Amino acid sequence: MNRRRIIVYWLLLLAPTACIGVFGFRLLALERERMAARSRAAMLTRAQTLADTLEIAVTDVKGELLREVRRIPREDRVEALIRWERSNPLVRNTFVWAPGGDGLVHPARDRPSDSEDRGFIARFDALFSGRVGWGGHGAERDAPAPSAGAAAPAAVKGRRWYGQQPARFQRRELLDLARVGNVQQPAQAEPPAAAEGGWIPWFAENRLHLLGWTRERPDGPVYGLELELMAVLSRLVTAFPAAPEDGCTLALLDGAGRVMHQTGDTDALAEREPVLDVSLATSLPHWRLAVYCAAGAPAGAARAFTLLAVLLLAILIAAILSGGMLLTLQARRSYVDARRKTSFVSNVSHELKTPLTSIRMYAELLSEGRVKGEEKARRYLEVIAEESRRLTRLVNNVLDFSRLEQRRKTYRPEELDAAAFVTGIVEDHRLRMAATGLDAVVEGAGQPAWVRTDRDALEQALLNLVDNALKYAAEGKQLCVGVSRRGGWIDIRVSDRGPGVARAQRARIFEKFHRVDDSLTAGKPGSGLGLSIARSLLRDQGGDVFYEPRAGGGSTFVIRLPWRKDEA
Amino acid sequence: MKRFVSGAGIGLALVWASVAGAALEGPLVGCRVELDRAVLPADETLKAVVKVTLEAPKPPSDMERPPVNLSIVLDRSGSMNGEKIARARQAAIEALHRLRSRDIFSLVVYNHTVETVVPPQSAANTAWIESRIRRISSGGNTALFGGVSQAAAEIRKNLGESFVHRIVLLSDGLANVGPSQPEDLGRLGTALRKEGISVTTVGVGTDYNEDLMARLAQKSDGNTYFVEHHADLPRIFTAELGDVLSVVATKVNVTIECPDGVEPIGIIGREGRIRGRTVELDLNQLYGDQEKYALVEVRMPAGRAGERREVATARVRYENPFTQRAENVHGRAVARFSRNEQDIRDNVNDDVQRDYNVQWNAAVQNTAIELADQGERREAAQLLEQSAERLQRVGRELGDEDLLRKAEEVEGQAAKLRAEPMSKRFRKSLRTEAYQEIHQQKNR
Repeated sequence: MNRRRIIVYWLLLLAPTACIGVFGFRLLALERERMAARSRAAMLTRAQTLADTLEIAVTDVKGELLREVRRIPREDRVEALIRWERSNPLVRNTFVWAPGGDGLVHPARDRPSDSEDRGFIARFDALFSGRVGWGGHGAERDAPAPSAGAAAPAAVKGRRWYGQQPARFQRRELLDLARVGNVQQPAQAEPPAAAEGGWIPWFAENRLHLLGWTRERPDGPVYGLELELMAVLSRLVTAFPAAPEDGCTLALLDGAGRVMHQTGDTDALAEREPVLDVSLATSLPHWRLAVYCAAGAPAGAARAFTLLAVLLLAILIAAILSGGMLLTLQARRSYVDARRKTSFVSNVSHELKTPLTSIRMYAELLSEGRVKGEEKARRYLEVIAEESRRLTRLVNNVLDFSRLEQRRKTYRPEELDAAAFVTGIVEDHRLRMAATGLDAVVEGAGQPAWVRTDRDALEQALLNLVDNALKYAAEGKQLCVGVSRRGGWIDIRVSDRGPGVARAQRARIFEKFHRVDDSLTAGKPGSGLGLSIARSLLRDQGGDVFYEPRAGGGSTFVIRLPWRKDEA
Repeated sequence: MKRFVSGAGIGLALVWASVAGAALEGPLVGCRVELDRAVLPADETLKAVVKVTLEAPKPPSDMERPPVNLSIVLDRSGSMNGEKIARARQAAIEALHRLRSRDIFSLVVYNHTVETVVPPQSAANTAWIESRIRRISSGGNTALFGGVSQAAAEIRKNLGESFVHRIVLLSDGLANVGPSQPEDLGRLGTALRKEGISVTTVGVGTDYNEDLMARLAQKSDGNTYFVEHHADLPRIFTAELGDVLSVVATKVNVTIECPDGVEPIGIIGREGRIRGRTVELDLNQLYGDQEKYALVEVRMPAGRAGERREVATARVRYENPFTQRAENVHGRAVARFSRNEQDIRDNVNDDVQRDYNVQWNAAVQNTAIELADQGERREAAQLLEQSAERLQRVGRELGDEDLLRKAEEVEGQAAKLRAEPMSKRFRKSLRTEAYQEIHQQKNR
């Protein structure tokens, strides 16, 4: 087939395939980026929502605690504060501070009730000793109090975190908790209208403490509580989503950058810069909620999409290429077949023509009466007969070939002595061989070698081998046909002293239509069917034919048939 | 720490609250208030030790025990790999099997993140819960604070009900995500106790932070265990559950009031608050068939010979989980003054003396740990030796085998500390022992 045409076809196939590949991957990269950006944006929105939720929850609880403090009656204040502190998880410490010389009334500065009180007094010493005033120094003033359990801002409403309890529930729970242990008379339920107060963010030992205070009048005693941040934190962390986006971490950081809680990949925290940093300063000064994402980490859905898309693209490209390959192979095979058949037809025609020419020439000579003498005429007639036989063998070969191809060939197997049979055939054709200068010798004729086979098939196979020897090995002068038994086989060896078969051709000479393409065969007509037919016939008999190089030069073709022991 | 001279004396007033049998008649828990010496030397100001004992009876057999709301928190960080996590799973499953259908079971696992593996539900769903537990694998960091917080959230879903609430935390490593100071976890423990939730901490191996685990348990009134080998885990869980299933009182508030002139100066062992002449102690629960006590040191004004004087009144308020009613019991200690030394000696209360010395020794063990941490190993060993000597002396005086055995143990600890630096294992066993003693833990 035209090599250039193949190249052109392949180019036509490869160019669009390459285009599909390149554009496909480009599109994929764009889509992945888009998905990553989208999931990151969603993550940021969620983080922002969470931050809002936390802020609102803490702000609310602070407001509620302050309201609770104000409901505590004046008369029984210290006792009520102590009861509250003893039972309320959100209250770490309570205090009463009197202006002027009195200073701290509760807890007793000189006799703190336990180590917790001692720590509390030491922590807020600057405040209790009057070095720092109430209401200044970054203290949050009391915001106008919304009624308890007021609706959350729209941003928080209806958002859920991966099936967790809605954060609003946590908030309500916290608000309820603020009232624990502060059971008051209804008469004292409403705080005095003029009360002032607020929350003081206080930093001691590099930690945040929140002190809520209130007083009824500017010169009155200050009382309040320290919020138990650990209890609040313990509640807040359960509002975190169990699993944020893949490759990302949601972290709650305190003022010193310590991780108070985190969810998600630990590796992402190694990233220096957070993707998002939301301050929680309104409720927890210097605290922040940060989102860290590991560089290049695609989100879960995006990763799955990429994998799938790459796989599909690879399958498409592989399918196009392998399809092209198969088509090329098929085309090439058809091309070779067509060429063989063409050459077969021309070979056969040529081979038919040769005996026909002889027959016609001698027949014309005889019919025109131009042959003088009885002897000459008889010789001419013998030539005609011989050429006809050759023609018959040729036609038989072609017919057999077509029958073998269509698997319509029928056999009549019979027991025969291969040695006697071979001797007979060689004798029948001795004259013909002698005409080309070949001397035929039969070896092992005395030993009977019984086989069961179709007589005609064996004869044709043997004659095909003999014809080949006549055609290509006549210069060797000698043709040796030997019959011998080897194990369970009978071997009929047809050996000549011709040029032999090149190593590369030894297997291929048995293929149909194959003719060794060299100077030897160039001048001889042939169909390329002889050996192929011989092999097919013999294999149908349970035997085979194969080639062996002959020691001392020449070829040996071995017909091998199964030995019939019982007939021996 | 004060030393006591044993003296002679007579007379000790005990006021008993009725303990006897029937659960429905009268309070379930008894309260006893005693002095280390029922008769005190006259005409001198002195220090005395008041012991308040809460006597919890066996859970009444004719009533169904209060339901338990149990949340197990399993550390599944990378260090729990292999056999450890397998044993922990097995222990959790065994605990589950001891519960009844009225009990609530939940399970939280944590590494760097926290996950509720079994949401709170009836312990009757054993098949499903077991399959969930068996799926737990290990890997990652240790977010202990988050784990306990999540378990508390699961417990809270049934907080309103009349359950005995308990978190059992198992960890083998250092908390490295979230608050991780013993003090922080102690504060969390305090907050949880106020809600009626106790945290029992189980430390596995020698790499966990025993201070943190002990503090969390102490502040929340739970138990603490040091499990050196993970093979012991199922046994420990079983023992712990035995405690939880035998609770006979919850939300126990003890208030000890001293009359004018008597001044409380310290609580020995347990944590509590002293405000003026009032001492407050809070316990989350009392286990059945067990006595828990508190020792308070008071300063007494001089008394005349023959005078009787009240030293302390204890009021105990708790919730009876069988009837879900609040109950009150109280007790009173009265001392008599005498000049007769034999009288004083005859009226020494052996029990209080022994408990006082045991608690004193636990405090010494804690101090020894702190000293050894600061590199003052010799001083720490010396302190332990002194404590051992003292235990031995008191043990001989009282003829108390337990004290003598304890003295031997402490002597061994001192020798060990003198010989070699404090190993992680030794520190853990010492810390846990001291805590268990102070907390009067039943199972050790």
